[in-house]
Amino acid sequence: MNLRNLGQAWNRFFFTPQSPTSLGLFRILYGICVTCTLLLLHFDWLNWFGVNGWVSLPAMQTVEPGMRINLFTVMPQDNHWITAFFWVFLAFALLLTAGLWTRFSSIIVFVCITSLHQRNLFINNGGDTFLRVAGFFLMFAPAGAALSLDRLIRIRRGLEGAVPPPIIPWAQRMIQLELAMVYLFSFWWKMKGNTWVHGTALYYVLNLHSLTRFPLPQWVQTPLAEKLGTWFTLAFECCMGILVWIRPLRYPMLLTGLFFHLCLEYALNIPMFQWDILAAYVLFIDPADLTRFWHFLRRTLIPRQKNPLPTTELSS
Amino acid sequence: MSATTSGKKKTKPRATKSSRASLTSAAPRSALLQGTISAFILFHIVAIFCWAVPLSNPPILAVRQLIRPYMVWSGLFQSWDTFAPSPVSSNTFVKAIAMSQSGDVHVWGFPRMEQFSYSQRYREERYRKFAETLPAQTNSVLWPNVANKLAKSFDTPGDPTEKVMLLNFHADIVPGTPKGKEPTPSPDIFYQEYFLPEDSK
Repeated sequence: MNLRNLGQAWNRFFFTPQSPTSLGLFRILYGICVTCTLLLLHFDWLNWFGVNGWVSLPAMQTVEPGMRINLFTVMPQDNHWITAFFWVFLAFALLLTAGLWTRFSSIIVFVCITSLHQRNLFINNGGDTFLRVAGFFLMFAPAGAALSLDRLIRIRRGLEGAVPPPIIPWAQRMIQLELAMVYLFSFWWKMKGNTWVHGTALYYVLNLHSLTRFPLPQWVQTPLAEKLGTWFTLAFECCMGILVWIRPLRYPMLLTGLFFHLCLEYALNIPMFQWDILAAYVLFIDPADLTRFWHFLRRTLIPRQKNPLPTTELSS
Repeated sequence: MSATTSGKKKTKPRATKSSRASLTSAAPRSALLQGTISAFILFHIVAIFCWAVPLSNPPILAVRQLIRPYMVWSGLFQSWDTFAPSPVSSNTFVKAIAMSQSGDVHVWGFPRMEQFSYSQRYREERYRKFAETLPAQTNSVLWPNVANKLAKSFDTPGDPTEKVMLLNFHADIVPGTPKGKEPTPSPDIFYQEYFLPEDSK
């Protein structure tokens, strides 16, 4: 492959226009994930981010110095302001989900989520990190081009027709690449540890009392099942990062990933992590397939009486 | 008259607005714009790769040092080492002991997920993460903060908190141990602080 071909492949990958349906659906799922994360944090909001919280702002700045996007450093250190911050953040997360003032909402959501993480880095998990990084690229994406109130308004005003105009998917591709890197680097990190290679890692994970969630069947906790589970995790994380880019293998990989994350959601208590990651799976689904699935759902959910069949079909 | 006006209103702005809208979507982009976006993409792919890749050879470290201010500022810093290189091999939890001037002793434990209902543990999970990272020596700057918050929460009028101790309990996970026969967690005092009566004001 020479440089010219590489350039063409690059342009095809990042700049070939495509339907915005997958991106629109991702925006909705992303917004729901951010909203749920916020609602879960609401119970202890001031304990984590308040003036007299577990980690003071000066302590946080000592641990993590340097310039950062952090609204807490510019807003008055008063619990009323910090509570107001929650409601503003929640409002914009909902606006982003609905796709109203989408670009502006996505910028506010990113700034708020980054501020929250910078204010207290000690309580974040990988799902939070993924939301933050995906949020960065979402700001650059035309996320309101489909499945949004913004589009509905444009249709009402006669600016757009029944089919949403195609978009340049470079920002969407960056979120997809980020997801692939999550899997590949997770695999790479694990390969550095003996327990993963020897097949005992899952034993330790499933015996961390603070992390376990629902009770597991006895056969899952046998040495053989734990070994197989450990190696399956390694194999899946390695393959997912690579094979998801190969079209014929994409859907089998996404389905395997869905199974993998649902198992983790059942077994481990890491709130929202699995859903944050799974939300990005829709970016890999062909928009045409999404539309087909939507039509299938409508056909299934809307009763036949309300949707009469053509005479020819009825007579046959 | 009104029909003509509305007709004009419908067609003219439509053309300008739709062309503006298409600029943000699929309009053919100028080479300069596409080049700029490509440079932005390339920079971010290289930066994220070098930041998150589990390698520490000199070139990677040099790039990491170079991009650090941007990654930290923008919130793109990331690490994907959950349960890696190896999962934690001990069960831990954190407790605090507060003593008042009159000699009253309060024992307080950070919420432990295994003692909660399913919905509670989903909601309170951040405490699990916090209690897991708190005893690490690298986070010692947080200890006075935590002790101070606890001291204030146990203060009573006329009987302020005099001392707070933070304890980390840990029990190794030993493969093959039958359920219910796990070793008893042993405590380590990782921080203690005395408070003067005026501290509570």
